[in-house]
Amino acid sequence: MTDPPRPSSVRRPRNSAWPSPGALILTALVVIGVFAFPWLNPGYRALSFAVTTGITAIVLYGMAIPFGQAGIMSLGYAGLMGFGAYTAAILSRDFGLNMWEAMPFSALIAALAAGLFGLPSLRISGHHFAITTYVMCELLRIALINGGKFTGAATGLDLPPIGTVFGVKLDKLSNTYMLVAAFMFISMLAAYCIANSRYGRTLRSIRENEQLARSIGVNANMHKVGAFMVSGLFAGVGGDLQAYNFRHISPDLYGGATSLYFALMVMLGGPRTLFGPLAGAIIVTFLPEVMRIDPVDSRIAYGLALIAVVMLLPGGVIAAAGRFYQWAARTLRGARAGASSTDPGASWT
Amino acid sequence: MATLEIRDLRKTFGGVVALAGVDVTIRSDEILGVIGPNGSGKTTLFNTVCGVYRPTAGTIHWNGVDIAGKPAYAIGRLGLGRTFQQAMSFPALTVRENVQIALEHGSRREDRAGPQWSSAEELLEFVGLEGFADEVTNVMPFGNLRRLGVAVALGGRPAQLLLDEPAAGLNEGESVQLTHLLRRAHELGVGICIIDHHVGLMAELCARLVVLHFGNKIADGPTEDVLNDPKVVEVYLGDVE
Repeated sequence: MTDPPRPSSVRRPRNSAWPSPGALILTALVVIGVFAFPWLNPGYRALSFAVTTGITAIVLYGMAIPFGQAGIMSLGYAGLMGFGAYTAAILSRDFGLNMWEAMPFSALIAALAAGLFGLPSLRISGHHFAITTYVMCELLRIALINGGKFTGAATGLDLPPIGTVFGVKLDKLSNTYMLVAAFMFISMLAAYCIANSRYGRTLRSIRENEQLARSIGVNANMHKVGAFMVSGLFAGVGGDLQAYNFRHISPDLYGGATSLYFALMVMLGGPRTLFGPLAGAIIVTFLPEVMRIDPVDSRIAYGLALIAVVMLLPGGVIAAAGRFYQWAARTLRGARAGASSTDPGASWT
Repeated sequence: MATLEIRDLRKTFGGVVALAGVDVTIRSDEILGVIGPNGSGKTTLFNTVCGVYRPTAGTIHWNGVDIAGKPAYAIGRLGLGRTFQQAMSFPALTVRENVQIALEHGSRREDRAGPQWSSAEELLEFVGLEGFADEVTNVMPFGNLRRLGVAVALGGRPAQLLLDEPAAGLNEGESVQLTHLLRRAHELGVGICIIDHHVGLMAELCARLVVLHFGNKIADGPTEDVLNDPKVVEVYLGDVE
């Protein structure tokens, strides 16, 4: 048989699941930078927003699994975070569980809720599904407001301090920051491992062509709901950390508006890149507050940024930066030796 | 030998009767062709067998197991693979990943399944795409995309492959390559059932033909006999005089 024609198609430079040396160096720099941040004397305000940013990033790394890998956008993640936070608060109030003891329950309850939120994806998709999850999130907020003493109604619930672990007093803000940073990097690693696993490949097959995936034996329904449940684990852990960080939670923290911000962050940063969710959280949560941008101005900027990203940088700013890096590397190498080589940078897939 | 037995299969869409009680037996030791005019129910037959549609009535048994109404993924795992009328792939993924996904799912029951590929590379070599493993498929030439569709279907280790117009859009040379590929797959024990409008290809490839017309089977037998059947000539082939 004669050889098929050679295409002039896009070629993936590497097939290994392991990051390139460039990506490893970049990752190491980010890890060092994040953990070194408190030593730069950023001040209480900036450090406090950094903690919030880290917790948000944990949720976003979970969100990136169904959105980035399976291609299913949900607007219910604030609600899932709320399940985690309220589970932690109620277990603390009624059973005296501390943050660590409550964390598995927060993760589990949020995962089960995520499975419930994901069920409509078996019937509807795209914007219809996103709107459905937004409504579910709002329903949760209304239920929390009307939950009486059990949920603390509109006032919400109080929590005790995080306490001391191995002699380290975690209530001190810099120590809370370190704890959140550690969980954030664990979330990043977990999301990376999922994206580069057989499971991640299965989710991508559903995203790319669900009908074809089903024909070769992929149980798309199970994997869709499963992806939501996995992402719910992240949201539950984020909720637990947030509840103990704020020490007071109320329904308004977990409404549809917060979910929209989460969606904005993950789209801005890029759901299919290693640093995309973190970048999105920094751009939307951290920078406007630290730069003291007027809230109204920042919302206008978010809207414009989202339109710009959707139209010009559909993979998010990190993916765009990766493409720019590849282009620059190709140009430089081409200028030097006429060779063509690329580096995938920090891309997951 | 695996057997797909379709009895009195009916599929209606509202008032439209797509399949009006079709009886066909498909054996994995043969290459069977399904022909018929547009709208005769060929693709609906495949879609109903493969779980895309739930049959309105009738039975479908694959190796004695009733698969009528089972979900598509469950049928795929039982060793019944397929390709689609539109050339399909997982577009943003590489050729290797496309095949890898099929190898990781698909049939797991070795007693019923077809060839066991040890790696994506082995399968890509079989279909002649070994040099394209790292290519992203959304910009592949159409001929290679058709070939990849067969590779993905074979990756599921099917005992029986249902191919829906695999040669549509291919030039003469590519059609010949595809014919060779399907013959080699059949030699490995994969049953081939193929829908196509290319009568020359069907005549060369298939030992037996089934002809559908308005959801009814009007002919079923050796290729030469079917192609000379006056009824088939009238409704599908046309008078060459």
